[in-house]
Amino acid sequence: MLRLTVLLLLVGYCMAGEGRQYCCSAEDRNIVQKQWDVLWRDTESSKLKIGFGRLLLTKLAKEIPEVVPLFKNVDIEHPTGGAFSAHCLRILNAIDQAINLLDDPEALDAALDHLADQHKVRDGVKKAHFKKMGEILNGALPRVLDDYNAMSWKACFKGILTKIAGKLQG
Amino acid sequence: GRGQACSSASLSHTSVELAASFNEVVALRLKFVLKMKILVLLLAVVAVAMANECDLLTRLKVKAQWRRAYSSGHNREDFAQAVWRAIFAQAPDARALFKRVHGDDTTSPEFEAHALRVLAGLDITISLLDQPEALKEELEHLEKQHEGRHIPDNYFDVFKTALLHVLPAQLGRCWDREAWDECFDVIADGVKGHH
Repeated sequence: MLRLTVLLLLVGYCMAGEGRQYCCSAEDRNIVQKQWDVLWRDTESSKLKIGFGRLLLTKLAKEIPEVVPLFKNVDIEHPTGGAFSAHCLRILNAIDQAINLLDDPEALDAALDHLADQHKVRDGVKKAHFKKMGEILNGALPRVLDDYNAMSWKACFKGILTKIAGKLQG
Repeated sequence: GRGQACSSASLSHTSVELAASFNEVVALRLKFVLKMKILVLLLAVVAVAMANECDLLTRLKVKAQWRRAYSSGHNREDFAQAVWRAIFAQAPDARALFKRVHGDDTTSPEFEAHALRVLAGLDITISLLDQPEALKEELEHLEKQHEGRHIPDNYFDVFKTALLHVLPAQLGRCWDREAWDECFDVIADGVKGHH
């Protein structure tokens, strides 16, 4: 009973902690960084990253078809082409940057603020798209990472995605 | 036994053997000359290959070395810091271009984030060095992000000097200056949009 109370209090605290906290503890950050690192060990990781990014974005486009025109300038119609491949790598690198800054909250804030600005100027990008992306990531990551701690990733990614979507109207 | 048979056979065939061994020597010498010629030819081919600017093998080498140097977490932040300090040490006036991201203080969170963004962009181009179509697209993207910022060409040289200075500190002996020298130009030219 006591445990449950502590847990509930903790959940309450996490939900109350608006901003950068989001329950992404030091240990959560360690776990996320360590598990993510696996994707980058190989020299050919770029191909894996492009493939993974392509999977994320095409899945998003399938679930929410209204996003397709938003990726028109990076040629989403040809997902294996150069333009879209480069874009997939850009997105994965932004995720990578955020993860690698998890233990430097101020610099992370500045980096995410910049990403928020970059998304704000794209008309039609909505908060709901980021919510969906969070779900897609949570479904996809355990499929590429043998070691995946869903609790830690969720705790840390909620903050990251919320901040990037923070300047959107809808 | 066998030793005896051997020696008696060699005794009776001495002259024949001598002639044979002479022929062998000649053949060996010919072989040696031929081998030298092949070696010289090979060296010439290697020299030509080495003179190639940032060819495929060089690109693969740069990719592998970058993977080690880029590292992660705090080490990556330190790497980025070192590169940018080396840049501003060479070209103090360049700080003016980075006012928006607090270039006056490289340890500010804003600049820290910027320094890492730049390395992330460099990371994309390096990892695409062997995928020409996507590399072209990424370089065009970066060119657009840099155009209108009035970046003098020599700042790209400053960046290169800084990077080539910090990389060996990350990598130790296992790094190839020539390879980086050649392949960095491919990337810088792409971002500049000209040679």
